[in-house]
Amino acid sequence: MSELAVALFAASTGSHLLEEPRSLRFARFRASLDEPGFLRDLEHRGLRWVARGASGYPARLRSIHDPPPGLFVRGDAPLDLLGRTAVAVVGARACSGYGSAVAFELGRELARAGVLVVSGLARGVDAAAHRGALEGGETVAVLGCGVDRDYPRAHATLAAAIATRGLIVSEYPPGVEPSPWRFPARNRVVAGLCDATVVVEARERSGALITADLALDEGREVLAVPGEITSNLSRGTNALLRLGATPVTSVDDVLAAVGATRAAPVERAALEPRLAAVRAAVADAPAAADEVVRRTGLAPGAAAAALAELELLGVVVHADGLYREVVPSS
Amino acid sequence: MLARTVTHALVGLEPRRVEVEAHIQQGKLSAFAIVGLADRACQEAKARVRSSVLAAELVWPSPCRITINLAPASLRKEGSGFDLPIALAVLAASAQLPEGALEGHAAFGELGLDGRLRPVPGALVAAEGARRAGLAHLVCAAESAPEVALAGVDPVGVRHLGEAVAYLRGEHEPPEPAPPADDFEALAGVPDLADVRGQERARRALEIAAAGVHNLLLAGPPGTGKTMLARRLPGLLPLLDDEASLEVSRIHSVAAVLPPGAGLVRVPPFRAPHHSTSVAGLIGGGGASVRPGEASLAHRGVLFLDELPEFQRPALEALRQPLEDGVVSVSRVATRAVFPARFQLIGAMNLCPCGGRGDSAASCACSPERVQRYRERLSRALLDRFDLVLAVPRPRGHELAGPEAERSGEVRERVLAARVRLRERPATRTASADALLTRAVERLPLSGRGRARVARVASSVAALAGADHVEPEHVAEALSYRPPVELAA
Repeated sequence: MSELAVALFAASTGSHLLEEPRSLRFARFRASLDEPGFLRDLEHRGLRWVARGASGYPARLRSIHDPPPGLFVRGDAPLDLLGRTAVAVVGARACSGYGSAVAFELGRELARAGVLVVSGLARGVDAAAHRGALEGGETVAVLGCGVDRDYPRAHATLAAAIATRGLIVSEYPPGVEPSPWRFPARNRVVAGLCDATVVVEARERSGALITADLALDEGREVLAVPGEITSNLSRGTNALLRLGATPVTSVDDVLAAVGATRAAPVERAALEPRLAAVRAAVADAPAAADEVVRRTGLAPGAAAAALAELELLGVVVHADGLYREVVPSS
Repeated sequence: MLARTVTHALVGLEPRRVEVEAHIQQGKLSAFAIVGLADRACQEAKARVRSSVLAAELVWPSPCRITINLAPASLRKEGSGFDLPIALAVLAASAQLPEGALEGHAAFGELGLDGRLRPVPGALVAAEGARRAGLAHLVCAAESAPEVALAGVDPVGVRHLGEAVAYLRGEHEPPEPAPPADDFEALAGVPDLADVRGQERARRALEIAAAGVHNLLLAGPPGTGKTMLARRLPGLLPLLDDEASLEVSRIHSVAAVLPPGAGLVRVPPFRAPHHSTSVAGLIGGGGASVRPGEASLAHRGVLFLDELPEFQRPALEALRQPLEDGVVSVSRVATRAVFPARFQLIGAMNLCPCGGRGDSAASCACSPERVQRYRERLSRALLDRFDLVLAVPRPRGHELAGPEAERSGEVRERVLAARVRLRERPATRTASADALLTRAVERLPLSGRGRARVARVASSVAALAGADHVEPEHVAEALSYRPPVELAA
């Protein structure tokens, strides 16, 4: 069977196909398809194609019940990246500052520990996880459209960064536009590529929960980050916890779930007292810069400088006027 | 009989000499014509002038053919400022004024049907025209007299046409205009920074913006004091020097926003146009006559745009020229005007369309796409103009109840000292400060332009600290005012 023909036929007809259909239409499509030409053209654009039968196709993905016929790949990293221990970090697009800080931190620490971080390049949690992972190592983005499509557009720079350090993959050929029905299908690839799926923040009917369900169907580990019980953004994750998902209280829980060990902590003790004091001011709860000024007694300018330095060190993050610590002090 | 008076028409901000010639010819029929590209308001002068002359108990020559010529004929004349010179020319031509009485005089003003003289916008510019033409006196409405005095021309401020005639006949001496208020009083009307409780970070950013003339964008939920902060910026800036002051006063005179009796504009102006303002309203324009817009009214001062993303996109894009060059050029069919518009831009916006984002007391119901669309209304090119971008969170209750904060006067002292420092001995970056900047470019999403912005702000921070060199802590502080990823990406 020709997986490439199946993938291209599925994209051109807008259908979800895993095997060669026995139709006249497909036979005609296949006859008219110039496979070597298409592959040359693909290579010319710096893209790759991995068929389900090929050796580079990730084994974990092949073992799900509906593996895609193949993957289009953009990026310079070798394909065996996809064979590494992998964790999906997914969640709400409209996440809170807490959600993006946690996703960022999980992404970074997992990547530092040598774990591949997989997500969907969406806004919110996905993007934060990718960004964090890029700081610590490699990451893979799975798209619900062509790999040349940079969707959402606002993440074009992020996509370019991922392509240089990691991979962007999709079961859809280049040029395919994003459409809503393709996202759940994309989620099965995210879950399928990974040993475990972490849901960071999710509303009651979130796409991230679909990813979690798919992971459960395949017998993969599902973890959820606890949130405030009063927040809509925690409904989905807390419901998962209630059903028995492993709670994530630190990155160690995730590492334990996939059998990896934490990388040696990086120069944690090196903070000078001035920075340590400012860090302590945001340790308990996220705080605005003014709150930091009051707690530390520093001048507003000095506090701002210290916060920027901590941000550069990756100890705190800043969103919508609030600073929060991303690395617990221990 | 022929007589002549001199007045000045406004072309943009420039006075153009206009000679008003009156010719009276005895005849059987009465006629009164104004020629020389006069617009409607100018044509209507006929009725006002005639009634005024009669109301002043003077003689309207009749039956006579009266022709008024406004020279040069090629220049479009508009408005009602020609009433007084026309009336005086008619009176001189009918020998009701002593010969040579109009020598050395210009005239400018609108007449009422009862002969009363009304002020017309642009008196300051008309007076400057008189000075340049070598005319020592300007006959004008009493209300315009202080403005005229500013231009160094002797104002003859009168309330009535009769009074003007009495003066020209040497029977009446108009009173001296009241001296303008001094600087101290001028500053008294500017709100004080001490009213802003809490918001230490925003106050600090305002101080840096004042010191380095940086544009500042405040983003935060409604009710966090963004407008309050912006209004206090003029009080932190140095007063305008003589040249700037005259320049600003001229613009305000033409736009008729110069408060009567206040003298020259000394405090940097503050303009806060509503977000429904049109392109013409913002940068200047109008119909045939070209009027300065808000950008020019804010010249040498502060232009505050609240609800920045709600402004029409073309209006915001039109601001890019003045932000770049400090001037606006507006072309219309008949005229082309260049207005100075070197202002400091303060923008304010919510973090999302509903305003709930960043507010601990409210929740935001906006979808990510909606937030994105809202923020995308600001073009990258415009965002690039803001050196400082600040998320202003809602202050806590106890902050608002806190003690009174530092007064504007103290902050202003520091700003003035920093300005001197920036002008005379601009600090250079130390090697370690450079290293930090480079690390930031590698570590953060910071473009080349962003780097330049941070470097500029760091210089201002160093100047405020009175440092000889830009140290890493100054760069670090400047980094904390860079636009957040959400706005930059």
